[in-house]
Amino acid sequence: MSDHGTLDGAAGGIYVHIPFCLTRCGYCDFNAYEGLDPLKPRYLTALLEEASLAAPGWSGTGFVSVFLGGGTPTTIAPADLRALLAHLRDRFDLVDDAEVTIEANPDTVDEVSLRALREAGFDRLSLGAQSFDPAVLASLERVHQPGSVRAAFAAARAAGYVNLSLDLIYGTEGETLDSWERTVREAIVLAPEHVSAYALTIEPATPLGRQVAAGTRPPPDPDLQADMFELVCELLGEAGYRHYEVSNWARPGYECRHNLGYWERRPYVGLGAGAHSYRDDVRWWNVRPPETYLDRVERGELPIGGSESLDPSDAYLEEVFLRLRILEGVPASWFEEARYGPFVASGLLVDDLGQLVPTERGMLLLNELVLGLTR
Amino acid sequence: MGPVPTDSSRIRNFCIVAHIDHGKSTLADRMLELTHTVEGREMRAQYLDKMDLERERGITIKAQAVRLLHDGYELNLIDTPGHVDFTYEVSRSLAACEGAVLLVDAAQGLEAQTLANFHLARDAGLTIVPVLNKIDLPAAEPDRRADELAHLLDRDPSDILHVSAKTGEGVPELLRAVVAEVPPPRGEVDAPLQALIFDSAFDTYRGVITYVRVKHGVLPSNARIRMFATGVTSEAEEAGVMAPEATPVDALGPGEVGYLVTGLKDVHQAKVGDTITLAGKAGAVEPLPGYREPRPMVWSGLFPAEGGDYSELREALDKLKLSDSALVYEPETSQALGFGFRVGFLGLLHMDIVRERLEREFDLELISTAPNVEFHVLTDGETIVVHNPAEMPPGGYDAVEEPIVYATVITPAEYLGAVFELCQARRGEMVDMQYLTPERVEVHYVLPLAEIVFDFFDQLKSKTRGYASLDYEPWGFQEAKLVRVDVLLHGEPVDAFSAVVHRDKAYQYGKQMTERLKELIPRQLFDVAIQATIGSKVIARETVKAKRKDVLAKCYGGDITRKRKLLETQKKGKERMRRVGRVDVPQEAFISALRVDETSKAKR
Repeated sequence: MSDHGTLDGAAGGIYVHIPFCLTRCGYCDFNAYEGLDPLKPRYLTALLEEASLAAPGWSGTGFVSVFLGGGTPTTIAPADLRALLAHLRDRFDLVDDAEVTIEANPDTVDEVSLRALREAGFDRLSLGAQSFDPAVLASLERVHQPGSVRAAFAAARAAGYVNLSLDLIYGTEGETLDSWERTVREAIVLAPEHVSAYALTIEPATPLGRQVAAGTRPPPDPDLQADMFELVCELLGEAGYRHYEVSNWARPGYECRHNLGYWERRPYVGLGAGAHSYRDDVRWWNVRPPETYLDRVERGELPIGGSESLDPSDAYLEEVFLRLRILEGVPASWFEEARYGPFVASGLLVDDLGQLVPTERGMLLLNELVLGLTR
Repeated sequence: MGPVPTDSSRIRNFCIVAHIDHGKSTLADRMLELTHTVEGREMRAQYLDKMDLERERGITIKAQAVRLLHDGYELNLIDTPGHVDFTYEVSRSLAACEGAVLLVDAAQGLEAQTLANFHLARDAGLTIVPVLNKIDLPAAEPDRRADELAHLLDRDPSDILHVSAKTGEGVPELLRAVVAEVPPPRGEVDAPLQALIFDSAFDTYRGVITYVRVKHGVLPSNARIRMFATGVTSEAEEAGVMAPEATPVDALGPGEVGYLVTGLKDVHQAKVGDTITLAGKAGAVEPLPGYREPRPMVWSGLFPAEGGDYSELREALDKLKLSDSALVYEPETSQALGFGFRVGFLGLLHMDIVRERLEREFDLELISTAPNVEFHVLTDGETIVVHNPAEMPPGGYDAVEEPIVYATVITPAEYLGAVFELCQARRGEMVDMQYLTPERVEVHYVLPLAEIVFDFFDQLKSKTRGYASLDYEPWGFQEAKLVRVDVLLHGEPVDAFSAVVHRDKAYQYGKQMTERLKELIPRQLFDVAIQATIGSKVIARETVKAKRKDVLAKCYGGDITRKRKLLETQKKGKERMRRVGRVDVPQEAFISALRVDETSKAKR
């Protein structure tokens, strides 16, 4: 992998966006919708069509991962997902041992459907657990109960999954450090291969964001979230997980290859409404509304909604802030010592044989690090 | 308007003394109409208030004179500024008159400014024509207000005229009373010229225009003139009268009022209160009495909000100075705010007007430090004049003196206790008081100017439910226990936040500033101590705890562009901050921390 993201012949990722959800959660600003189920058949057809349209532009790129995200991909029947994956394998140059992830909500899966997915080739499952505290789940407007997470997890194991990830969210209104500790410990008891733990972020264009702006709900307390971050670092570290990105931990060897691609600035192709693609300092994205997406693809067009070409300073900034998110860090030689020296002295960065790697405290202050280094 | 000066027995020079909103401009409008000075179709409301700023704020800051012809008489209506900032200007306008119409709102009654200006007018020997306005209002109490006025003037209530400036009722009678009661000017036509400047203005095309009252002698249109105070001589270009638009005349005779295009290019060469005479041997030996250099009462540092606009600010001030003879300024360098100016103003209103003109007419964005008064620091028999709290020595002097004022408050009797309490809290000393009527009291206090330039007027209004009114005039300097309070960020003093306050109020100031700044300064990578100190003694302290979290939780494919833009925005925000030592302070923190409570900026 070269420094400035030139194309690597065997390192691409394929992202497929499924914009359907059972219910829309108040904090979520993803391109996801409830009540659009009648569009599903057309949408699946369009995904296949888009893959066919896009694939010729990616000849010569080897793909090492597929990621089905959303939305809730498991709102689609396993047979349809199997057909989709088969089509991708047909059109794109996927390596044999490619990592194939599907996101799932606990209430949308059972052992039968998971077995079907596994047999279809989805070998990594990312479960949106969010929390094991019912009050936190209710506050997030998640429909499932802690029990369904455990049930889904057990079902996945029974279906043969050996690469499981749990998503957790911390810093919800009313959540205490104790409650968060219980959630993390519950997650550890389940022994997933991978854990993502996200600080709840208030997005302005969401119901929650509007409530916070209106003052009817409190914003998360950043200091409490910092405490929660330090706690999850400690607990997962003790349990043998490696902290490999700001919000991601894995047993050695189970880091998410697909997501690493984003941070390592490897190329990716995005399929589906609102999906982003990237290659060689150019990023482009599909139109967001599912109906518009369908119209465009059904006319036989690539549904591109916009693009940007990174100039060298954009690319440099991305390189710095993305690499600082992962343990690889950035070469100290990119900066004057006067810039990074104070951060090393104050314990936010570690100079690891010429690579600047953020400490836990540094990860929490990553924006400050990036601005301080590149200012 | 003949080429020959009017016989002075046919001239009446008068002004209208009134409180803001008591209807002065409306009354002037009716007079312009009744005397056909302005014909109906050209009429517009508040005709004489020409500047935009004046019209918007509903006050008159530039005195003007307009000539009305009525029944064979030449009536010169001289407008006076109606604000405490401009007491000296008022006194010069009064000096151009023989009579004053004392205009009082029949619903609201006498107010402090009216009373103060009435006293000025009476002391200047003017004949007073008392008038109640707004008699058409349902809330009007003409009988009660007439009693009040009669008591004040020691006259019979039946002498008080009743008008409605809005409907025009009573205005013809008022004009007749002005002719009958106000004495004609007395001046000697053969004496050397003495013309009083009661206002001056700068016109882009014609230079400095003065408004003058000829006391003695004749002012020809194209004379070589000399200013007494500045000694400047000049070829005047044109004399004329405002009728109401500028109308040239051959000469202005004794008793007449008009304008003179002086041929000068800088208003500071033709100052309000100065005397114009003819250059050379024909000139007068003595000026008219009463001239005073304009003296700023309130000082504030003005700094460009974005560094680098310093030269634009300087140019703007230089231009503004051409038309504002009261404006003074000197360069100032602040460690926190960079290059700017320490600017002196006649008062808070003048300060607001100047700042607004700088921002509006010159499109500047400014940070202004909290206004302060002038201090005199006495050491070893020497007096150091301090206009900037940061220049005040931290100690080692014998005494400090601060300016005091003689304040007049008129209040309904039921709020007297509240007024006492407020004045006491502001270190006031009562001089005397008297009942204007059983319900209304006039109280005089000597107060430190520093105590009233900030929110005194607001407090007075709120404690008296808006009924009390205030006027004040400079009353010299007085020793006081004053100390300099500094504000330190992470150990570095921020000069812009230094203030000179009374020892008993230092803690309050320090606490208020540190608490305010705690809310305004963003969290940094380290704990930021905010301290208020007197010398080396810390009197208040707050801490902005170190920031612990500033990172985006999720950053996947679709987030990267957005994330980069957020970082760029954050970066620009940082670049706009001012650095004090190691602490980044946003521009807004200076603006908000230094803001006098918004409400106290409201028009007074």
